[in-house]
Amino acid sequence: VKLISDAGYQGEITSVSTACHQIEVFSRVLRTSITSVLESGEENLGKNLPEFTKMVCHGEHTYLYSQVLMHILSQEPKGGSNIRRLCQELQKSANERELDVTPITLALSGAAAYPRACQALSSMLSRNALNPADITILFRMYSEMNPPPVDLIRVPAFLELLIEALFKPNSRINPEHKSKYIFVLSYAASVTEMYKKGQRKNINRDELKPTTQALEKVEALCSKNKSSSELIGDVNTLFLNIKFPVIAYGVLRWVDYTVSDASYFKLNTDHTPLHLVLIDEIVTNHQLLHQQALDLLVRLFESSFEELDVLVRLELKKTLLDRMVHLFSRGFVIPVVTYIKNCLEKQDTDISLIRHFVTEVLDIIAPPYTPEFAQLFLPLLESKDITASIRSEDGTDPVSEFISTIIYFILHFQ
Amino acid sequence: MASGDTALWLHNKLGSTDDLWSGKTICSQLTQNKLQSIQACFHSLQPHVKVKLMLSFLHIPRRNVDQWKEDLEHILNMATHDTDQWVSMIGEILQTYPSTGSLNLELDNITTFSEILSDLNKVVKKCSAARMLPMECQFLNKTALVSATGPLPKAINHFTLKRKSKSAILRAELLQKSSEVASNKKNS
Repeated sequence: VKLISDAGYQGEITSVSTACHQIEVFSRVLRTSITSVLESGEENLGKNLPEFTKMVCHGEHTYLYSQVLMHILSQEPKGGSNIRRLCQELQKSANERELDVTPITLALSGAAAYPRACQALSSMLSRNALNPADITILFRMYSEMNPPPVDLIRVPAFLELLIEALFKPNSRINPEHKSKYIFVLSYAASVTEMYKKGQRKNINRDELKPTTQALEKVEALCSKNKSSSELIGDVNTLFLNIKFPVIAYGVLRWVDYTVSDASYFKLNTDHTPLHLVLIDEIVTNHQLLHQQALDLLVRLFESSFEELDVLVRLELKKTLLDRMVHLFSRGFVIPVVTYIKNCLEKQDTDISLIRHFVTEVLDIIAPPYTPEFAQLFLPLLESKDITASIRSEDGTDPVSEFISTIIYFILHFQ
Repeated sequence: MASGDTALWLHNKLGSTDDLWSGKTICSQLTQNKLQSIQACFHSLQPHVKVKLMLSFLHIPRRNVDQWKEDLEHILNMATHDTDQWVSMIGEILQTYPSTGSLNLELDNITTFSEILSDLNKVVKKCSAARMLPMECQFLNKTALVSATGPLPKAINHFTLKRKSKSAILRAELLQKSSEVASNKKNS
């Protein structure tokens, strides 16, 4: 194995345990993997991660070694944040495998300089559950004049736990302590620090109070278990406060839980139920939540909704597609069209639904188109099953216009 | 405990190569005496047992680490001189842990590590445009986001938007309904 590795064929070493046996071989395989993950970018992350995380999580020593290496790389001002993301993906994957990596995460985060905060975080992260006593410790420390660095609580797994505690319907937080949970989450979301030569020079808390107040207001609304019709009067408040990313994140989670309830679509007979309109609003305001919104829409779109009448079910799916069209119109183009194209290829989706998507998209777009988009969208138009019924003989329909624009482009510019 | 017994105990506890995450399991049974006995038999242990033993240090409660600092450091020191490269590497990484609670990141003197690090440093710079944002970015207010990772890149325009999607009409209708309901509530 060492010889194969010495000869430069890291890609050939496919057995994880073989690769992990010698540190030199492991290092080279790790280098090859990190390079290919970085080069193929975020779109391919989902595809590349399983193999990468499997190798790193092989043993606690390979995990520690990889995280140390990547932690050093993540300090690089140019491009380091990509590596920070990879470190987090590894942590997440280790958690999913029920491996206790909290001590390594905290030993790398600089938390050791703040033993009390470190202890509190460590006990919550290791158990994957929050508790009032530890939250109170963090609340007190971050309320002081000289709090620990904000980065200490910007641990994705910890923020996730706070969101779950505040936005999961029927979650049981002791009301006496709720404001502390809200404060800690708002602090993580809103405070900025300025460093000079490793020394903190300034803490800017200007947005802390408005974020806390907004979070309190929306959390109170979401926790009341109101029905859609009862919520109508609160739409303005929701729209206004959804502008805070952390609130949008929480509301999206709350919408997810609410609409995933088996009876939701049976009881909400509006053409577009209020909770789905909230997804639109989140999509409009937050580019970074597009993937999560699409994941939720896809999950709903693929649900069987057996309790609904066939026609009602079809209408509901069209409503969900309208949300995807909105997501598409707000810039999440390639992932949405790729998903619909996959639906066509898998042949498991009613053709009238795909036709609905195509028609809605053609209704809102105009040239110039990027080749990437045109290439992806074209097969949907070329499918006779989808477009035959919406094309006219004289070629003045949107499908023919799109195709002739593409042909014109190919003839004149390539 | 005699050092031979300690070696056997460690072998029984950590000898399996199937589970390479089992270091943690011995934490509750570690004592200062045991650590001193481990120092005497450390050289005779199998490399993967040595590695797991050191990794267990990460799971020892902090107050015990403070108490046993010197004994832990002694073991880590022996490890840094080990002929097995995994053993010496893990020893190096953990060397600062007993006294500071942090990991040693000054590993430039280790050839394999520094070579890989410098290769990857180039790759990281080259791929800086990849924009795989850290996960916490989804939670951050705009000011905090910009200060953490810089402004978001502009999205590519894959087409011209001729008109807004149907959602815009729906939104307007809902807001209208909402203010009606709100004002009705006020009046009643």
